Amino acid sequence: MSQDLPPGGPPPGGLPLSGLPLDGLVVLDVSSFIAAPAAAATLADFGADVIKIEPPDGDPHRNSFRNASYPTSDLNFPWQLDGRLKRSLALDLKNAAARGVLERLIGRADVMIVNFPPPARERLRLGWEDIEPLNPRLVYCSLTGYGESGPDRDRPGFDVSAYFGRSGILDAARYEDGPPGLSLPAQGDRATAMTLVAAILMGLRQRDRTGKGCWVGTSLYANGVWANGTSAAGALVGARLPPRQSPDKPRNALTNLYRTSDDRWLQLLMVRDDRLWAPLCTAIGRPDLLEDPRFGSRAERRERALELHRELAPIFVTRTYADWETAFAGTGIPFGVIGRLADVVDDEQARHAGIFADTDNPEIPRTVNNPIRLGFAKPRKAGPPPTIGEHSEEILREAGYSADEIDALGKSGALG
Amino acid sequence: MTESDLPLAGLRVLDISSFIAAPAAAVVLGDWGADVIKVEGPDGDPNRRIMHDSSNYPKSEVNYPWHMDSRNKRSLVLDLKLPEARAALDRLIAVSDVLICNFPPPVRDKLKLAYEDVKPVNPRLIYASLTGYGESGPDRDRPGFDATAYFARSGLLDAQRYEGGPPGVPGPAQGDRATAMGLVSAILMALIHRMKTGEGSWVGTSLLGNGLWSCGVIAQAALVGAFLPHRPPPERPRSALGNIYTTSDDRWLQLTIVREDKMWVPLCQAIGQPELTDDARFVTQADRRQHSADLAAILKHAFAQRDYEHWRKALADNGITFGVISRPQDVPGDEQAVACGAVVETAIDGMPRTLANPIRLGFAEQRIAGPSPALGQHSDEILGELGMSRDEIARLRQSGALR
Repeated sequence: MSQDLPPGGPPPGGLPLSGLPLDGLVVLDVSSFIAAPAAAATLADFGADVIKIEPPDGDPHRNSFRNASYPTSDLNFPWQLDGRLKRSLALDLKNAAARGVLERLIGRADVMIVNFPPPARERLRLGWEDIEPLNPRLVYCSLTGYGESGPDRDRPGFDVSAYFGRSGILDAARYEDGPPGLSLPAQGDRATAMTLVAAILMGLRQRDRTGKGCWVGTSLYANGVWANGTSAAGALVGARLPPRQSPDKPRNALTNLYRTSDDRWLQLLMVRDDRLWAPLCTAIGRPDLLEDPRFGSRAERRERALELHRELAPIFVTRTYADWETAFAGTGIPFGVIGRLADVVDDEQARHAGIFADTDNPEIPRTVNNPIRLGFAKPRKAGPPPTIGEHSEEILREAGYSADEIDALGKSGALG
Repeated sequence: MTESDLPLAGLRVLDISSFIAAPAAAVVLGDWGADVIKVEGPDGDPNRRIMHDSSNYPKSEVNYPWHMDSRNKRSLVLDLKLPEARAALDRLIAVSDVLICNFPPPVRDKLKLAYEDVKPVNPRLIYASLTGYGESGPDRDRPGFDATAYFARSGLLDAQRYEGGPPGVPGPAQGDRATAMGLVSAILMALIHRMKTGEGSWVGTSLLGNGLWSCGVIAQAALVGAFLPHRPPPERPRSALGNIYTTSDDRWLQLTIVREDKMWVPLCQAIGQPELTDDARFVTQADRRQHSADLAAILKHAFAQRDYEHWRKALADNGITFGVISRPQDVPGDEQAVACGAVVETAIDGMPRTLANPIRLGFAEQRIAGPSPALGQHSDEILGELGMSRDEIARLRQSGALR
């Protein structure tokens, strides 16, 4: 039984698995790059039949791995990640003959995901107003960079600009006098994908209640602001935080980074320093600090953060991170290490948390799971993502096209 | 549109969680119509005080983080260590749809609040678990905060740094709020499952899992043995066309040109240096990458000559993708933040505007945020709805189980 447990599912005792929750759902992924396609991948993980409709030269994301900000590899790992469990139909939406194909597919679909900027969407007649009459039960999901209206609605949105730059996250993620913080490739896209999934599931629930399809959506900008919500809520009432002091000049020495003797960074996170001050002094072998009048109260420790830092930093740097792990075990003191990805991929805890999954794809034997865990079902195992148009014929046949019709479509250029 | 038309109207959610990721998921459910009951211990959720406790929160007269994370919830105070409280909780569980729990596993076991403990009370219940590091394994019992579990452990902070610099800095609760959407999705999957099968279920997610999902590109790269070196500083970028530059009014402009083939010529025009297109150092993408420090120096000088407003127009007119690094004070006044539905009005005194959750539905609007509840503000009301008499409630209060 235990081998049937979903990765990261409930602890021992286990639960029987049943069918996937999205079995039988047909999803048209008419989107490119990452946030929207990653939402479609998550739906596929949980059973949906995802048809990726690509232009004849493919989703440009097929080439992202050549991007300068991506780790260099000959393997097209980002496409493997975001194209998993999808079937590809290559369709030139600018070709008049393609429209009929698209409309027939829409007629049979449950969900359609679109992320063209609004002007392209209008040009291609792919707005909700255009689509709803074709299938009144369709859940139409829109992703934009900056929202569906307003002065910047038509701007193409990338996560580095719309999610991170515009939302204030990068400005806040800096040390005093330093340049703005950095985001990682697609970091905000992938977080946004979870919101799209939630929006689509709300749409499906609504359809179950009313029998009618609907429009749902989100924007990268709104997701960035949501992630930055604490600071943004502060800004809305006029409260501002100055940039973070570098680790040797902390605002609070008990929530700070300390270098260890093996050149790792230990992250001390003592939010409840009322309860944990004594255990900390004991664990670092400095019970004398408990008697030190400079650090008697929480307020004093905060006020004398620099002095306290001067006491703590020389202690942390004398021992390895592993030593500190032992010293803090069982104390309840929250701490962590600034992980390196090289360690994470072999992290036993990551395995337990169901974060990575084995695949049936020889190019990438392991992949990153979506973070949703269900006690009753296990995400599907990923195979290789499709080549451009790999499933065009198969999908058209399912939509009722005869071999002759498919031939004719091919000749018209609609299939690329 | 009335509240009963909201997609989650009629759903009862028990939010037995603290701090931010799990309560924020409950907020989203409440925004869309669920009746969210926050079950708190006698001291209340420590998130009520975090603005004062954490030096990383901007200070204000208004307890904005609490309002944000508890809007439209009702508060019931039960001391779950006492058996009387547990009996009351079971009555509540029996009539609820969703229970959200983020106690670390040992506390959960002690309080008998694991899924196995509550399932018999209500087999249709959806039990949503949030942990820092997962439900099993060597670190399952560690309390998880987003700075440690989502950002540090996942490798995000290590990767988010400039060469030679300290690790990156996460914003307060930034990973918690992103994780909340993972938890909401998990709960909605379970509702679909219940609709199909009539059965409740366990669902969950972890901060670590969400952190790694969000840096999935570099995590997948690591899985195939590819790693990204730390980012060189803006003076020596990997690509001068994907770099940040300061303007004459000291704003940071973010150039994000992905399609260099199409955008190189328009960029040279936009900065008023069309002769650059003839410069032998910058002819092809490979040339520009090889001479990226030279190109960055030219662009740095160019962007420093004019203010942000000038560049916004000049770049937009030439169809060049760029962004601005907004400061927190820019977001409240940003018209586009309202247009995309991020900033909305509230019915809260002293906090007239707040952040909507990022889900948009064509058929319904999120509930307007009211003031977050005082500790135990709705205890009597909620127990009354369960059919408890005034005497019963009084006895419960006398036992110390209720406040």
